[in-house]
Amino acid sequence: MSVRGAVARVSAVVGLALAQLRRSPGRTVLTTLAVALAVLSVTLLASLGVGVVEMGEEGLDRANRDIWITNDPIDPSSSGTENPIVGAHEISADLTARDDVRTASPIAMHDVYVGTDPSELERVPAVGVQQTHDAFDFEAGHGFEPEGDPYPREPTDEPTREEIVIDPRLADDLGVSVGETIYVGTSRETARYEFTVVGTSSYYSTYLGSPAVTVPLADLQAVAGTSGTDRATFITADVAEGADRDAVRDDLAAEYSQYDVRTSDDQLESMFRERTLVLASGVTLVGLAVVGGVVLTINLFALVAYQQRDELAALRAVGLSRRVLAGTIGVQGLLIGLVGGVVGVAATPPIAAALNRFATSVVGFERLLQTPLEVYVAGFALALCVGTVVAVVTGWRASRYASIEHLEA
Amino acid sequence: MGDEKVDRNNGSSRRPLDRVESVRMIHRSLRNTFSSTAGATDGDDSTAAVRLADVTHEYGSSGRRFRSSGERSVTALRGVSFEVRAGDVVGLSGPSGSGKSTILHAVAGLLVPTDGTVELLGTDVTALSDRERARLRRRHVGIVFQRFHLLPSLSARANVALPLVQAGIPRSRRRERATTLLEQVGLGDRVTHLPGELSGGECQRVAIARALATDPDVIVADEPTGELDTATGADVLEVLTDVGRDRAVLVASHDAATLAVADRVVSLRDGAVVDDER
Repeated sequence: MSVRGAVARVSAVVGLALAQLRRSPGRTVLTTLAVALAVLSVTLLASLGVGVVEMGEEGLDRANRDIWITNDPIDPSSSGTENPIVGAHEISADLTARDDVRTASPIAMHDVYVGTDPSELERVPAVGVQQTHDAFDFEAGHGFEPEGDPYPREPTDEPTREEIVIDPRLADDLGVSVGETIYVGTSRETARYEFTVVGTSSYYSTYLGSPAVTVPLADLQAVAGTSGTDRATFITADVAEGADRDAVRDDLAAEYSQYDVRTSDDQLESMFRERTLVLASGVTLVGLAVVGGVVLTINLFALVAYQQRDELAALRAVGLSRRVLAGTIGVQGLLIGLVGGVVGVAATPPIAAALNRFATSVVGFERLLQTPLEVYVAGFALALCVGTVVAVVTGWRASRYASIEHLEA
Repeated sequence: MGDEKVDRNNGSSRRPLDRVESVRMIHRSLRNTFSSTAGATDGDDSTAAVRLADVTHEYGSSGRRFRSSGERSVTALRGVSFEVRAGDVVGLSGPSGSGKSTILHAVAGLLVPTDGTVELLGTDVTALSDRERARLRRRHVGIVFQRFHLLPSLSARANVALPLVQAGIPRSRRRERATTLLEQVGLGDRVTHLPGELSGGECQRVAIARALATDPDVIVADEPTGELDTATGADVLEVLTDVGRDRAVLVASHDAATLAVADRVVSLRDGAVVDDER
């Protein structure tokens, strides 16, 4: 057969498939939706994954620290807020004294109650750091600087600096502005410490997922009553210029064997490892959506082939080849896969934008879902795979029915 | 490949000349497409269009590798011999199970009999491979089924044009050919109707038009009026014998009214010819 003949045959097969799809709008819409949902589940989860990874990387990059020292908390669900590191200032001082470490500083986290009236308090996460930095990007006011040498210190029972940086949304809620005073404490009963708002910034709120406050570390320890043991959640360190991060990490790991010492890359990995179950659940859901879409589409078109088995056998008898007959059914599956893929990919940006708006309003994360080109490519590749699998399986079923043995006498 | 055959479908005076000419072109194209068929000597009037010689067929007696030796086989045909010339309408009569459908399937090359030879336009069908038989059938045999077997989602015209898809005929020519054939069977005003929108008789006429799509030399019809009432059946038979002029037509039926249109009736019982009424 000439090339023109082959082209005419292929275009006829596609035309027949389109005609059959057009005549069954309900089935066509249902299967297209099934494939689109499968594609959407992949693109949206991939967008979330990309967003979370980028956010984590961005956070670690902005923290601009090479080494993270921490410890798995006793209660994993507390996610590090148990402040497992004891003697944080001393360790930081020791680290800073090393030749291969430029600087080290501890970070503590606690939930605290804040408010302008001791009887009306809000519970918010508080981060204790030795000093604020440029990345805080203050909306109003400024941060706080360390006074003198930050490391040698005597434990204090009372806060000494009494300065606080609060989230702008929290400032609105409380109706306070820079220069005003709020009460801080780790319980409603102990919220008697008066702190002066020196600035507003959402720097830590972005990581913690809710409006947070930042106070000098020693003050947070005093408020929380952990000054005596000098507890912290992390100690972060920058390696000296020319020093190898991995080598420093290995040295520190040997020296502080009771703690986990990680580079910032390791830290990101460990954050995801802690959430393996969540990741596995997401992957399982996507898997189910894909399998569900494929099975529904295959079943529907296999059913079409079964319903038309007599006709397929008759057409085989009048001379149509098995390939042409399988093509008319299989191409329907392929077209559904492609159209479903296009619908799924096209629906991804608006749905991702809507989810981002929702995430921003509920947990404060902006651009939680990110959709680089790779996400769309992955979604469409899935649609192609689904379409091909459906085409092959249903075409094969159709070709089995397109047999003289199925022809009724 | 004679011109006589090219003109065969164009006898109706109702069709405009340009259509007649275009159909001629289609036929010529189909002829050219078909002319490579191995050994087919169609157009030789001295040769019977169909010839069965001592044909015997047993179902369950061949093919299956794992069939146990003790498995029963059923003898469907026993030494059947007859021939059909172009222009003849031959009826096959007999009770259910007498072998009528088996003969039609053997003539169409849908099955290879256990013994004997089946010649189609001078070519021994039993000596051909599956692929060669399919090609011969596609080019020279039109089949009409009892239950029409039209694709429900395609229009009458698309159903009629289906056999031309395999030949790689372009869409516009397929449509033209299908429309012409539907006009020939009296359905010129039903070309875009779906099978579900047509009566049983109209569906069977669409099926007859489909059987004629590739301008076959032989038409086999298995109980073509089996699903129709008497009056509708008579109409369909008229169409079948009309468009079947100059072709060899084999009609299997156990309905006397259907067999009445045949030039000759071959009666079968238990797979054997008991009468060949000329």
